[in-house]
Amino acid sequence: MNQNRRKHFFINKPLQIRFMLAVIVPLFLINLVALAGLYFGIWSKVLETFSNEQTLNDLVTASRMVEYEQARHPVASQDFSSLSFFKQTEKLSLRQREVFKGILDETNRSLLWKFLLLLFFLAWGTIFISHKIAGPLFRFSKAFNEVEKGDYRSRVNLRKLDEGHPVAQEFNEAMEKTDHLLSNLKALAQEKDAPQAVAKIKEKLSTVQTSANV
Amino acid sequence: MFKRLTCFLLAFALAFSFSLTPLQAFEPSPEDRELLNKIEKDTLQYFTRFSDKVTGLTKDSSRTGSPSSVAATGFALAAYAIGGSRGWISQDYAYTRILTTLQTLRHKAAHQKGFFYHFLDARTGERVWGSEASSIDTALAVAGALLAARYYPGTEIEKLAREIYERVNWKWMMNNSDFICMGWTPESKFLPYYWDSYNELMILVALSIGSPTLPVPPGAWERWLRPEGDYNGHKIIYASTGSLFTYQFSHAYIDFRNLDDRGINFFENSREATLANREYSMSFSGQYKGYSESSWGLSASVGPGGYKAYGGKPGGGLQDGTIAPYATLSSIVFTPEFSTQAARFFYDSYQKELYGNFGFKDAFNLDKGWWANEYLGIDQGITLLMLENYLNGEIVWKKFMGLPAIIKWIELTGLERRSASTAKN
Repeated sequence: MNQNRRKHFFINKPLQIRFMLAVIVPLFLINLVALAGLYFGIWSKVLETFSNEQTLNDLVTASRMVEYEQARHPVASQDFSSLSFFKQTEKLSLRQREVFKGILDETNRSLLWKFLLLLFFLAWGTIFISHKIAGPLFRFSKAFNEVEKGDYRSRVNLRKLDEGHPVAQEFNEAMEKTDHLLSNLKALAQEKDAPQAVAKIKEKLSTVQTSANV
Repeated sequence: MFKRLTCFLLAFALAFSFSLTPLQAFEPSPEDRELLNKIEKDTLQYFTRFSDKVTGLTKDSSRTGSPSSVAATGFALAAYAIGGSRGWISQDYAYTRILTTLQTLRHKAAHQKGFFYHFLDARTGERVWGSEASSIDTALAVAGALLAARYYPGTEIEKLAREIYERVNWKWMMNNSDFICMGWTPESKFLPYYWDSYNELMILVALSIGSPTLPVPPGAWERWLRPEGDYNGHKIIYASTGSLFTYQFSHAYIDFRNLDDRGINFFENSREATLANREYSMSFSGQYKGYSESSWGLSASVGPGGYKAYGGKPGGGLQDGTIAPYATLSSIVFTPEFSTQAARFFYDSYQKELYGNFGFKDAFNLDKGWWANEYLGIDQGITLLMLENYLNGEIVWKKFMGLPAIIKWIELTGLERRSASTAKN
């Protein structure tokens, strides 16, 4: 299990960030729309229940008691608040608005923590998934660099849960063959009988397709 | 000779200017007088309809579920007495209603050291909604009781009214401070608010100083602040909200016209405040279609967003197009012409939406297409008393000013009585 563990969160930062954005943004928007739908839907229902006559009477009376006091001790005008999203509350009295605002704020705080937790898991998930792609790409890139420098012993060894195992296998097989060919060519180049060595090299290279196909 | 002539001319000019002060010279047309009488009579019906038949306690509002209000109950006592004297209800009915209500207040209604709780269960008299033992609401209840007693001297009504008044420990409500506290609850004890600045407090302080048993020191009259402000040239001792009711409640019972408080005449102050309030709302006539020369009245009332302390300047100046007709009508002793003009306008223009079995509903807001569907007890009460003063020979003032408590308050506080010749009104 430890073998499969990455040492760094970001192996290929630009790629992983692009990947995260590609995953997170749509997921975030979908979640947002779903949450907003639930949120407003639920609260609209809650508010509707207050149109019940008895409940409304009790609410109005309770709020009126407080409003009388507030009329004696004026308070500052109401600024933008969580209630501003709900048109229904414009019809409510000051006290009713206060009660609803308290409930809404408490719910919003609770939802905010859950939303942040969701966002955290979403970010962690995308990093985890992007790791499976970015890791192999990194290893391929590293292998190509080594080949470019002339080291044909390079192989791509992917972790168990990484994506691209078939490609890596094909790459490794190709590298194996190339390595083998070049090893043979190098061995032939060491032979003392030069004409025979050249003939063998020509034979070995006869199956190789290159740009300079002469 | 020249000096004498100058004095004569000055006196003539002053007398001429007073007698021709338009608001004072105004006499409503017979049709308008009839309308005002109708409004007063209809307003009375609120108290007969929304007072409990057994206890007499009056609902705070005509709205379903409303508890009874001690202040509204006080106004009901005054209303029955007035209604009986005017023949709108029988004397027997008025007497019985007053007696029943006073017996409830004396023996059943929840109180703390004589201070009634603001809101009571109309059937049981128990405290409801966690309300406070309220100083101002008790004062308004006591004022109504004492006025009713003046209509029925030497009766059980007078005895009960006196007992209710004398039971109140006004000094205790000062909580060892310089001012009278607004209230007390069993849970939190004294509220952190005091009657320390001009508003409807004058009736409370007057009754608390005039108490024959447990009064507050006379110095309590001088201590409350008299903040000065100005709007459109109207210099006013103003209330923080600028609501019209704050300039009216004390004046429903106390005739301030001939009382000078170290250079301040609170009747004239209320008239200036009313004019300023009207002009303030008119300054928004371009913004709100409800405001006009004939449609004004910013005061605490229900509104599209609940009960709010609407008001003019100086003061809070809260307005959103809502007008409280009760406030316009209750200014009638200060601005008879403007108030009558507005009453006629409201009645002719909005009768269908605004006028019901109990007079004008509490408020309306044309811009939001909103019409109150309820009457408030205290707003009905102030309307009725002010109309009675205006239409029926200032009878409420005359009766109330004869109370020993009021005479004591005037004497102890050094308020100066203007002589008839120097009084403006």
